[in-house]
Amino acid sequence: MANNLKGTVWKAEGYVFAYDIIKQEFWTSALDKEENSRWVMGGVHSDFDCENGFKSNGYSFIVAGHNFAGGGKSIEHVITGLMGAGIKAVIAESFSRLQFRNAINYGLPFITCKGIEAIASSGDELEVDPISGQIKNLTTGEEIQAAPVAPFVAEVAEAGGLISYIQQAIKEGKVDELR
Amino acid sequence: MAGFTVTEKIMAQQSGRDSVRPGELVWVDVNSIMTMDYLGKSTFNIFDSLGAKDLFDRDKVICVSDHLVPPPTERFANLLNEWREIVKAHNVTHFYDFGKQGIAHQIMLEDGHVLPGTISIGTDSHANSYGAVGAVGNAVSVTDAAVAMATGKGWFRVPETVRFHITGRWQPWVMGKDLSLHIMNMMHWNGDLIYKALEYDGPAMSDLSMGGRISLCNMTVDLGAKNGIVAPDEKTQAYLNGVAKGDWEMVSSDSNAEYEAEYEIDISNVGPVVAKPDNLDDVVTVEEVVGTKLNQIFIGTCTNGRVEDFGIAAAILEGKQVHPDINMLMVPASQTQYLEAMHKGYVSTLVKAGVAIGTSGCAPCFGTHRGVAGDGDVVLSAGNRNMKGRMGSKSAEIYLTSPAVCAASALTGAIADPRDLPMPENFGVTYGE
Repeated sequence: MANNLKGTVWKAEGYVFAYDIIKQEFWTSALDKEENSRWVMGGVHSDFDCENGFKSNGYSFIVAGHNFAGGGKSIEHVITGLMGAGIKAVIAESFSRLQFRNAINYGLPFITCKGIEAIASSGDELEVDPISGQIKNLTTGEEIQAAPVAPFVAEVAEAGGLISYIQQAIKEGKVDELR
Repeated sequence: MAGFTVTEKIMAQQSGRDSVRPGELVWVDVNSIMTMDYLGKSTFNIFDSLGAKDLFDRDKVICVSDHLVPPPTERFANLLNEWREIVKAHNVTHFYDFGKQGIAHQIMLEDGHVLPGTISIGTDSHANSYGAVGAVGNAVSVTDAAVAMATGKGWFRVPETVRFHITGRWQPWVMGKDLSLHIMNMMHWNGDLIYKALEYDGPAMSDLSMGGRISLCNMTVDLGAKNGIVAPDEKTQAYLNGVAKGDWEMVSSDSNAEYEAEYEIDISNVGPVVAKPDNLDDVVTVEEVVGTKLNQIFIGTCTNGRVEDFGIAAAILEGKQVHPDINMLMVPASQTQYLEAMHKGYVSTLVKAGVAIGTSGCAPCFGTHRGVAGDGDVVLSAGNRNMKGRMGSKSAEIYLTSPAVCAASALTGAIADPRDLPMPENFGVTYGE
């Protein structure tokens, strides 16, 4: 898993539902980072509701409050869409568990951080280390400590995601060792 | 040493450990895996890419057609055909297709694919319903389901448990759904329930019907929780006897189990409640919205599409007529529920009252099947979600409530309090006895 990620942040106002990250008309589309990224975040803000509406801004991070990507949707397009749009990490007060799982399965850092909303604004430059949980706002100089990711999460990310992780376990006959 | 909660005990047992504590990441054995029509093809495609020769157990991969049947559009018909083809190619034992269909979660429970003390997963978010029989029920993505189909395992973070101890006596007309929305109102989406196991116990839980327990566990996903669970008791045993696919163990929390938080709710003080449009955590007592004009009422879904939900609506509507301004739709959660509601006479009572009955399945709950809401419609629904656009038009308003409030409101054309109705003579439907 990459450390010392750098880039610009977009900060959400209010709840961000999975339904709005990927609008319903795209739920049955193929799971494809490039394809899903063209329409990602379309329902979150009217500015993003057009082709490449979010992606063209070149954001690297999303900062949000509680229950990011909530609303109970398990679709993985949420994660592939964000990754395809160049998002390197999402930092929030809390995450919906379905999408938190999906993020781990794809190796996209979802970082839980109390107080992140208070120290980041849209357009700020951040430096983020998912492994240690250290987050620095390069625009304001403020720093904050987030929850570091668990070793298993880093392992899955290193393997290139859960699918490759399991393909390898099956190939090597190590399924029984998963405990 | 502190004891363990029922969720921790199940996770320890299914991961081959003596004990687990919250925060640990463990691989567990999965008892059964559900996938359904609109995500099932992707699930099998990922399974095929993993390099496994066969399903880990063909009896334990349960396939259900629910969101797309009967197909309302050409696109859905094509998706359904592709789904059938891939299910048949994988030779699963249990395929509930067109004619045997129903909402996957209802079928998983009523046909005994979920057993107390085990872990079952599904590719639809309301797989949390499985906690009603004392299992850990979890919604997962298609990738997680495919991995489990190949390995019989899934990875889980052991959740902290929040306990809701329910005491007192249920008022007439108050249902499991009301308790669920009441808790949503108490807790909000402020992070206190996110990723948590919610455990419901206490004397009022023993009184609650299996249907009410399913509603309660079903909506834990909407509260943001990982799972909801009611430890198995005599009602669970009676529910599973004759249908369970396998043996089970009775499991419950230790009396000295460690909870992250504990809340006591006296159910005697909880009346019917309603979630206002757009945000599920915007819940008020029914009194606060009585008189709100409606034009659509819907009772159905995995939350409230069971025989007892049909029963309470029939008790309220018997010999009466749905208000002329209301389009009222009811859809059974499964063919089994439909048949039983028919045998008990509920279906004919409801049809005579002017209710349209849909074919078993998810129906308009997710906004793309028959019965969707149009621009400016004001819907009262016994479903589980009310965000903008959930049931169709983004300008439709969706109020969520129990089947009792839905049926009472059907008489007046506006939100009504069922407690204002005379108690029907044949009121044999009980949620809490």
